[in-house]
Amino acid sequence: MPNVVYFSEDALLAGIRSEDESAVAYLYKQHYPMVLHLVLNNNGSEEEAKDIYQEAIIVFLEKIREESLELNCLIKTYLYSVCRRLWLKRLAFKNRFAGVVSESDTFLEMAEEVADLEDREIKFNKMAEALELLGEPCKTLIEDFYLQDLSMQTITDKFGYTNADNTKNQKYKCLLRLKKLFFNIYKIKVERD
Amino acid sequence: MKELEAFKQIEKYFNDQLSPEALTYFEQQLQTDPEMAEYYRQYLQLDSTLRFYGKRKGLKAQLNAIHNEMEATAENQPTAERKVITPFGDKQKRKIFWHQHYATIAVAASVAILTVFGTLMSIDVWRSMGKQQNARYTALRREVEKIKNSQRALVQGYNGADARVAPKPLPANFSGTGFAISSDGYLVTSYHVVKDADSVFIENRAGQRFRVKNIYRDQTHDLAILKIDDADFTSFGSLPYAFKSDLSELGERVYTLGFPREDMVFGEGSLSSKTGFEGDTTSYQISIPLNPGNSGGPLLDSQGNLIGIISGQQLDQQGASFAVKSAYLKQLVEQLSQDSLNVPIKLSTKNSLSWTSRPEQLKKIKDYVFMVKVYNN
Repeated sequence: MPNVVYFSEDALLAGIRSEDESAVAYLYKQHYPMVLHLVLNNNGSEEEAKDIYQEAIIVFLEKIREESLELNCLIKTYLYSVCRRLWLKRLAFKNRFAGVVSESDTFLEMAEEVADLEDREIKFNKMAEALELLGEPCKTLIEDFYLQDLSMQTITDKFGYTNADNTKNQKYKCLLRLKKLFFNIYKIKVERD
Repeated sequence: MKELEAFKQIEKYFNDQLSPEALTYFEQQLQTDPEMAEYYRQYLQLDSTLRFYGKRKGLKAQLNAIHNEMEATAENQPTAERKVITPFGDKQKRKIFWHQHYATIAVAASVAILTVFGTLMSIDVWRSMGKQQNARYTALRREVEKIKNSQRALVQGYNGADARVAPKPLPANFSGTGFAISSDGYLVTSYHVVKDADSVFIENRAGQRFRVKNIYRDQTHDLAILKIDDADFTSFGSLPYAFKSDLSELGERVYTLGFPREDMVFGEGSLSSKTGFEGDTTSYQISIPLNPGNSGGPLLDSQGNLIGIISGQQLDQQGASFAVKSAYLKQLVEQLSQDSLNVPIKLSTKNSLSWTSRPEQLKKIKDYVFMVKVYNN
């Protein structure tokens, strides 16, 4: 990956919006030590630091690309605040040192951000679960068509169906099954809350 | 089976694959058929979730790759280097410290720099000002001490309450020296003595005062010609000295009479240069010790010829005094006679001082040298 230095946050944000990999890598590497430091100094492991950092980064990237985030602070402050909140939750969940984090930086209260982040995480996990339950070959078929945007013909060849219409029918059947599975799991989850 | 068909329709609708009739039919169905509307809603949610899932999955993979790469580069670095203990503390902490305090540090540094250079500059300016003052040319007019005057006035007011005592003449603001150039009441003095004067009086050794009315100024050569306008004045009689228009020689013995204080003072020396302050060719440099009040005094050579008019001295050099050459006085008198006066000024040409001793010369001259008193308020 090229060693690009981004001198301003605006340039970095523009890079992220245009799906520039080097911008993402730069952002990731720039702020990871801060979060690692936070977690290690508060009874965490490197693995946990990576986990929450990636969660925060992902939601940040998604929101920037969706243009649904109005950033009124430094990227660093945003990431730190989200990670801090996430880590507090994890600590509370582990039921020790609840809510005590030694601060090393400025932060904002990010209750809504984190709630939103968790919703997204749940949605993602449920979809992953639903796809697992769907089983082969439906899972691959759906992924190829909807995620990788492969053409009908390529998929037909790959799966060895006789023609594209057959594939199409198969795909719709798979989609309907996925729909049932997903809404079942998702609704259960929503009701439990 | 209906569900499957509905999904097909919806997907086609999204991909713009419906024919125009089918499109209108589909849109109608969306409005009217609640089941169809529900399918549509479900499709939307499923589709968006799928896309969201796909993107996030891609991002996770990307981030994991970045993370692995980062760890790989971190592990490649020798561990010894990472745990160096320096006297300057932890790098991370230093960074945080810098981030928190860099504004303050910057302001402090700028203030320090400004102070240092400001001090250096002002010292420099102050020094050069001192030098300038030393190298300055001073005109030798006498400024009468104000404190002394006001004290005297107070004492007077205290003692003499009776108004019968005739008021004494007020002390002048400035004084200089002047001397007669023609018998009918013309005198010459330095321009700087009478500049910004409101009224000018001349006073001889006996204390007799005459009022001066007209003043002709020549600022470039620092000369001023005064005309006595007083009922008491009749004539000076014939002047004992003559005006020389040639240049005098180096080393010639010269002397002057003047009023650096309330009495007449004699000063003697020699002509040390044919040019004046900073090479000024209109004046001589002479080695006579002079004091403020000498300005406008006559400079005579041993034969009693008038060769110059005392004007000033240089402060940072010992015994460097200056006198305007008499040729320029002659020039001024000629111009004046032509341009401004009805009756031309007759400079005396007869010299009755040659071959007489110095005290004899002084005795004759002293009646023609006057104190010039200037009032300007």
